[in-house]
Amino acid sequence: MIHRALIKRAISEGRAKLLEHESIKLLESYGIPVAEAELASEVNEAIALARRIGYPVVLKIVSPDISHKSDVGGVKIGIDSDDGIRSAFNEVISNASERAPGSRIVGVLVQKMAPSGGIEVIIGGLRDRAFGPVIMFGLGGVFVEVLKDVSFRVAPISEEEAYEMLSELKGARILSGYRGMPPVDKSSLVRIILKVAEILDENPEIDSLDLNPVMSYTSGALVVDARIILRSKG
Amino acid sequence: MNYSRELESLFSPSSVAIIGATPIEGKIGRVLVENFTRRYRGKTYLVNPKYSEILGLKCYRSVKELPEPPQLAVIAIPAQFVPQVLVECGEIGVKAAIIISGGFSETGTDEGIKLEREVREVVEKYKIRVIGPNCLGIFDNYSGVDTFFLPEERMKRPPKGGISFISQSGAFASALLDYMAYNNIGIARAISYGNKVDVDDVDLIKFLKEDPVTKVIVLYIEGFKESRGRAFIEVAREVVKKKPIIVYKAGKTSRGGRAVVSHTAALAGDYNIYSAAFRQAGIIEAETFDEITDFAKILLTQPLMKGNRVFIVTDAGGIGVMLTDALVKEGFEVPLTPEDLREELRKVLPRHCITDNPIDLTGDADDERYREVLEIIAFKPYVDALVIGALPHIPGMTMRITDYISSVIGRAKKPVAIINIGSEVALKFKVEFERKGMPVYESPERAARALKALYTYSMYLKKHERGVSSDS
Repeated sequence: MIHRALIKRAISEGRAKLLEHESIKLLESYGIPVAEAELASEVNEAIALARRIGYPVVLKIVSPDISHKSDVGGVKIGIDSDDGIRSAFNEVISNASERAPGSRIVGVLVQKMAPSGGIEVIIGGLRDRAFGPVIMFGLGGVFVEVLKDVSFRVAPISEEEAYEMLSELKGARILSGYRGMPPVDKSSLVRIILKVAEILDENPEIDSLDLNPVMSYTSGALVVDARIILRSKG
Repeated sequence: MNYSRELESLFSPSSVAIIGATPIEGKIGRVLVENFTRRYRGKTYLVNPKYSEILGLKCYRSVKELPEPPQLAVIAIPAQFVPQVLVECGEIGVKAAIIISGGFSETGTDEGIKLEREVREVVEKYKIRVIGPNCLGIFDNYSGVDTFFLPEERMKRPPKGGISFISQSGAFASALLDYMAYNNIGIARAISYGNKVDVDDVDLIKFLKEDPVTKVIVLYIEGFKESRGRAFIEVAREVVKKKPIIVYKAGKTSRGGRAVVSHTAALAGDYNIYSAAFRQAGIIEAETFDEITDFAKILLTQPLMKGNRVFIVTDAGGIGVMLTDALVKEGFEVPLTPEDLREELRKVLPRHCITDNPIDLTGDADDERYREVLEIIAFKPYVDALVIGALPHIPGMTMRITDYISSVIGRAKKPVAIINIGSEVALKFKVEFERKGMPVYESPERAARALKALYTYSMYLKKHERGVSSDS
């Protein structure tokens, strides 16, 4: 029940969201595949983690006060050496302190780079006042709110309904193999969709969550970034 | 709890007390007295301490003086007196009440909110089923219960029919009833529930599911209260197995009510969730005002579709092309006429007619030509629905066409939609078609959307048939 402890701690600390590494731990405890990641509090620890995880890696600033990490220069991708870590580690911290002054910095997340060649999708969920847990699937990445190609279902949903969420997107053909690209592994996406429904059902403290992007491959899928928002009191 | 039984007293009571009855013209209490004396066949009691007689009827000082407890109390008095009167009703054993009065939580004032809480407490204590407060209440075309306090000369009452209508907005309910009356669309029961202190959408669709005169349920919804959305779709799933539900959701656009911290919340808004929930439950969503009646007409009168292949028969080539576009856009197949059918049609049609789908009988067609062609097409197994463009402007068209189409469609048991564009003559044909149970549309697009609603409902039922049998 590691995820229960994570949520309880965040609430006791008065936080409205889980930190990056906590979100990842929660998803992993539900068997959702996530790009491997660990939290480092100083640069040598980051190097040791990167060696263990294997290069190339991504560094991400971890702060309870920063929701949009990229906007404050808190993300460095494609780091493939110890030297790379040394410069990037200090850079993300100084960027964050400069562009989000006063933010508490918990550390830096060292995360395995997801393999290229995947299609970015978003899998999300929220708790609606009238309907309870609602699940979303869509074409993801940074343009998600521009494309708005998403489908919704009120939970609980069957496996069949989860597949329908994929097929009813305007861009559904992208997932089925477009212009010589092989089709993505839909079953791995469906498994994550169903797990997100389960997470909302079992953790009433969670208000909403975004898994974005989820890299979808011809075999398997991998969550690269996750945001889990807790319910505000009242 | 048996909701059907409990709510029965709201719709078909054997006796009614009008609390707040008055002889003063222009007052709600006066319209209520007129409504009930005009159509309601049960016993009507009038209550108002100021009068001993209203419009020749005895008036009682209070409900406690009534010779029997009425099955239904209709309350139209100032808000501050409502809780006390409701207590009196509870004490004499009244089990159903419609509270017309406004001045409760909708005002947003402390006083209004307090009064509504008091009403809720009384309702719970005496277990009274209540519609309202702050509502128009019920218009029941079969029992004659009519608490819509708008005078008949302002708001016409529609004819009896199979559509029941539930509205979160009282003003919209009365406007739609008047519109339906003008368009000769039949209504079974209409409900405006206002602040829904007790009975809400969930209870009402449960009741209407078992109601033998209701064939199609239409709802105007702005929003559900806490967790009632989930309850609504759970009940709706069962209701749609028996009769279709059409919902018009108002408040589709967001003004950023939700604190948007995640992409999911930003993309969901409120409306997308409602829309997804409706679809999951097999509810048909009307996206525009026109679609409310467009969909209701076809779902009320036409059999289910077995597939998505539509054949078009018309006397106007242009309408045929427009229909093809509109139908294909909605996802229908407009198949080419198969060779065997083409040959059969050739035998009865003049050379200049077009046998390809859309089948164009051309401007020199008469109703006989329609009859001959439809007798052939309607029975083909690959025809899932017919859309007939029957423009009345050509000289050969007489009212007989309505009988011909009605007869062949009835025997073939296939759904049909009629396109009819024009002025007075077109209207006469429309009235006749609809009287014989065939929905008429004024544009190809509206016909295609309506047929799509029928198709969506048909496919939902087909898909969930498995579910029905495994449940039982």
